Amino acid sequence: MKNLFTAFLLLICLSVQGQEVLGTISGKVVDASKNPLPYASVLVEGVKLGVLTDDNGLYTINNVPFGKHRVVVSFIGYGKRSKTIEVNKRAREIKMDFVLEETAEYLDEVTVSGKSKETELETKGFALRAVKTKEASLRNIQTNELLNTTVGVKIRQNGGLGSDVSYSLNGLSGNSVRIFIDGIPISTYGSSFNLNSIPPSMIKNIEVYKGVVPGHLADDALGGAINIVLHKDAKTNFNASVSYGSFNTLQTSINGLYRFKQSGFTVKASLFHNYSDNNYKVSGRSVVVTGLGGVQTPITAKRFNDAYRSTGGMAQIGYTDVKWADQFLIGFTGSDDYKEVQHGAFMTITPYKDRFVESDAMLTNLTYQKKDLFAKGLDLNVHGLYGKRNRMVSDTVAWAYSWNGERAIDFRGDEYEYSWGSQQEGGPTLTKINRNVASIRTGLSYALNDHHKVLLNHVYSGIDREDSDALRSVLENTFQATRNLDKNIYSLTYELMALEDKLKASLFGKHYQQKTISIDPAIETDSNGNDIIVDEIVSSNKKYDGYGFAFSYAIIPNITLLTSAEKAIRLPNETEIFGDDGDNVVANSSIDPESSNNYNLGFRFGMFKIKKHDFTVSTNVFTRNIKDRIGLPIETSLNVDDELILYVNQGSGTSKGIDAQLNYTYNNNFALNFNVSRFDLKIVNRDIEIDVPNTPFFTMNGSLRYSFKDLIQKNARLNLFYTMYFTDEFSFLTSQGSNTIGDDFFKVPQQLAQDFGLSYAFPSNKFVMSFDIKNIFDEPVYDNLSIQKPGRAFYLKLNYRINNF
Amino acid sequence: MKRTFLNFKTLATAVLTVGLMIACSSDDITPTPDTEGEAEEELEESRWITVAAAKMGDNPGDGNGGTLIYAVSSEDAKDPTVSIEPFENGFIAPSNRTARLQSSEDGNTIFNISYAGDTGGNYTKYIVEGGQTFTPSGSEVSIAPYVGSAPRWIKLFDGDQTGAAVYVSTEHEIDDNGTPDDATDDTYVRTDANIGVVTLDLVNSSIKEFQEHSVALSAEEEANGYYISRIDMPVLNAAGDKLYIGARLSKVDPATVERDSDYEILGSKTIVLDYPSLLNPTVITSTVGYGNTNGYRSINAFLYGGSVYQANQSDPEGSHILKIDADNEYDDSYVFNLDDALGVEEAYILAWRPAGNGKAVIAYRHAGSAEGVAGAQGFFALADLNAKTAQKIDAIPYDTDFYLFQYQGFVVEGTEIYVTQAPVGQNGNIYVIDTETGAVTKGAELVNVEGSHFIGVF
Repeated sequence: MKNLFTAFLLLICLSVQGQEVLGTISGKVVDASKNPLPYASVLVEGVKLGVLTDDNGLYTINNVPFGKHRVVVSFIGYGKRSKTIEVNKRAREIKMDFVLEETAEYLDEVTVSGKSKETELETKGFALRAVKTKEASLRNIQTNELLNTTVGVKIRQNGGLGSDVSYSLNGLSGNSVRIFIDGIPISTYGSSFNLNSIPPSMIKNIEVYKGVVPGHLADDALGGAINIVLHKDAKTNFNASVSYGSFNTLQTSINGLYRFKQSGFTVKASLFHNYSDNNYKVSGRSVVVTGLGGVQTPITAKRFNDAYRSTGGMAQIGYTDVKWADQFLIGFTGSDDYKEVQHGAFMTITPYKDRFVESDAMLTNLTYQKKDLFAKGLDLNVHGLYGKRNRMVSDTVAWAYSWNGERAIDFRGDEYEYSWGSQQEGGPTLTKINRNVASIRTGLSYALNDHHKVLLNHVYSGIDREDSDALRSVLENTFQATRNLDKNIYSLTYELMALEDKLKASLFGKHYQQKTISIDPAIETDSNGNDIIVDEIVSSNKKYDGYGFAFSYAIIPNITLLTSAEKAIRLPNETEIFGDDGDNVVANSSIDPESSNNYNLGFRFGMFKIKKHDFTVSTNVFTRNIKDRIGLPIETSLNVDDELILYVNQGSGTSKGIDAQLNYTYNNNFALNFNVSRFDLKIVNRDIEIDVPNTPFFTMNGSLRYSFKDLIQKNARLNLFYTMYFTDEFSFLTSQGSNTIGDDFFKVPQQLAQDFGLSYAFPSNKFVMSFDIKNIFDEPVYDNLSIQKPGRAFYLKLNYRINNF
Repeated sequence: MKRTFLNFKTLATAVLTVGLMIACSSDDITPTPDTEGEAEEELEESRWITVAAAKMGDNPGDGNGGTLIYAVSSEDAKDPTVSIEPFENGFIAPSNRTARLQSSEDGNTIFNISYAGDTGGNYTKYIVEGGQTFTPSGSEVSIAPYVGSAPRWIKLFDGDQTGAAVYVSTEHEIDDNGTPDDATDDTYVRTDANIGVVTLDLVNSSIKEFQEHSVALSAEEEANGYYISRIDMPVLNAAGDKLYIGARLSKVDPATVERDSDYEILGSKTIVLDYPSLLNPTVITSTVGYGNTNGYRSINAFLYGGSVYQANQSDPEGSHILKIDADNEYDDSYVFNLDDALGVEEAYILAWRPAGNGKAVIAYRHAGSAEGVAGAQGFFALADLNAKTAQKIDAIPYDTDFYLFQYQGFVVEGTEIYVTQAPVGQNGNIYVIDTETGAVTKGAELVNVEGSHFIGVF
């Protein structure tokens, strides 16, 4: 097979070389401050020749046929530049340098089309947003905030820094959305290394795939996937930042990379530390202090048990840009976090004190990437992780506390303990969950020529889980079940580029395989009549298939049609298969996965240039048709006392909606970005359709940026930013009759938060200072109605970076 | 168009409200002469009937989409030409999950304690003013600090003075034999059930008393792994000096401390406490009935003729009505088995209510119930506590999707008992049962919406 490929390749090469009227174009691509730009794409239009710049920004394109050519250089987040040249006998070797200006330095999403030839090919057609983190990393902006302004993405976060986050893509959320770091499921890393803790400066960009997930990122993602791409530069650089602001919030990060030019030996490290008291003010119907007899007095309280701390980092050594590897790195990822828990799912009149969650992860990682391995066009990349992660929940204080942070008094006026002996109902706990985790993603691609490419991908992820509770006896812990979960997902993709690159298509199939094992110790009597402990092992091995496509067609150069579809599935998780002893849920090993037929249809108009005005409009309409939703049946008189409840496939659902986005820039100084997203989410159970409550179905985000050059000092730059977030009113109760009263109780009011920021880059461009005000007008913002998020806050950040030393 | 409609509705409601407010004045106030002559003779009898409806959440019949209430006069409740549409016109009780409602004996006040959510445990009372108008009265108070944010509460029959709510938390006690790290010599001792009981002053909206106790079963029962896992449905004895609390038992396997299923069901148990001090808990056990006495959402035990009559659930022999005498012990000579009385198998009392004459309406299911959209089909029976007899009430229609598991409210007016009947997602009616004669009157129509049902009258 390989020989065949090689033969093909030879044939193509020969046929090209046979023309003998070829030249070479080479040069360097740098940014405005003369820093080389690696991985910028350089394309010779018309002849489909293209390369990426190396880590010094250098490129060489051989075999350019004689004639007039337009050379286009682009890089994500930077403007395009093009020059027309003529290659002829007199000018056979042309040297041409490019300077790319950064564009859209606001909270922008850039379609990856401007990224590189490869990514362009891979991603065209998918409903994809790539969220750029470069500018945000210099500001006081968290990764989650950045994602929240992305069209079609909604973040639900129940508090301040470090609090639980759930992601919704076009209405689908929770288990339906898979999150990856460099293609590795984020569950491998645990909760200490996630979008709350890792700083934007470690992240190159974030890819958001809505509904249809390409083969190279295959997982059982029903509603889409978010992939966090960490920096993979192989150029020496160092940057550090520190940010401090309201609620005693400190966020620091250091990233460095050193590459020995001769040997290619590379050392790379990133460190971060975050801390916040999260002691912002809250008020509302449950923020009260109770007195004698239970009389309630409303107060404005400062949250007092909500601190968050996270520390972590990643270190890697290896070789980059050497003959045998573009990247070969082995390393270690470690992280640790601590989060106090102020309340449960709702803010009630009984705030928690000293309940906290601690988690840590220690993982070894391996990365290998090589383009043109063995043969031209044959690329291999492998990325794997193996290690341990642990999580602990502590809740041992029985004393009741009041929203003023002090011990609460009961109706008699005495301090008191909860009868359940802990802050959260359900009793004291010191639960530990230890997991051994492993995940490895392998991708092999072969480009037959510029038009055809085949990709084969595999991802394995495995979790061994063991639970224990130090407050329970060894005997009880002995008979706790352990669960192992192994997942293998294979995908095969065929990519086509045709009709002078106007048509791009990607066709993929995915094969899912999940093996789950439950080991539950039990007592049996052996032949001598003695009781012995034996393991009851139940396992389930499931296999399913899915498929999809993405297709784009440039009707005219500025108008592109993008469409994609996938039959996506979500495999049942361990609880859904094996049940949960604590909740009286028994195993249902015959449960089917949830599946969904997802469709996207979009247009992209632009970029249109009218004098100095540039604008792009893009829109996407989508539908998701979910089948076999997994859930628990309702409680009835038949099962109320039994342990007969099991997860079942019990209904369907649909999400339909539209996303739209407008980008406008003027003279590269002023930029406006506006997006709007709206959807209807319905589920059907036993033929009855309802609107899913507690879902923000209409959101808008807007941002403005204005740049001043040479302000105060020459070569300095000041950027002003404004961002607004709008979420329409929604109810956490299903919709009611037209004339009912009392609905207000359940309504989450319309929310509008506005942020303002500025950043000042000192002339050398080594120092950047940023100042941000979040929620300028101190508007109440909520997750659920009762869960209030921080009000007005101020942050100051200093960044230092050097790119050569 | 809509505007006009609303105005007309408001006007009509206002007129109706004024009219009915006069009609519903309590007995000791001399009623002002009514201009509407026909109201004259009904003055003494009229009472607000508050219909409670449970909207579908995400599953038909789950009742999680809001609890809506709507009040009509008892004349209207009995009038089959009247249509009641709580889902369209009702007042949504502030509760995240189905509210557990109570009403004053005269029907003029609705008591609610919010179940789960941010205000779970909050007590509110409303003056019933007809239609969707329920005017909040009194100050806010919460029982969440004592019994959690999803409290099991009930109103005591002491002239609408007191509500009582309960909570139980359990902990397995293990003897590690002095070697905390070695499981092989560990032995299970017992499971401690720690109960909390709070009493609430319904009039002044304040906490009256709270006590917690560790409640033990017999040594043998405990050694076998039995423990009290859920409690509910407090009721006062005739003397008003003891509070009875219904209980459900669960069992673990002493060898593994894992929860058992399929085990021998013990005799029905009730926790007895001194009242109002809530001290000195004891446990009494019936030798007649087996199974739980904690009911579900509707009051499960009532005082009649000096004794407390209590229904049990999940009884392998079919539900019994048990009798606790003035000596605060089960009267094991009183045997009233619903299977026998009705001639069915696996009778299960879902909710029930006696009138002052010892005749009761029982909501039940049995082995012959059809499996409807939200569980077993429900039926009503008319029972006689003295004669220990019961007959299915055939004058009420029983669709397969008619279920009574979440049923909460009966109104007793003299010897008449009001109930709601509507299958999940279908219209139904109020029915009024004359417990003396057994006559059944079909009352006002109940207009339903998809997936939803009615949970009673208050």
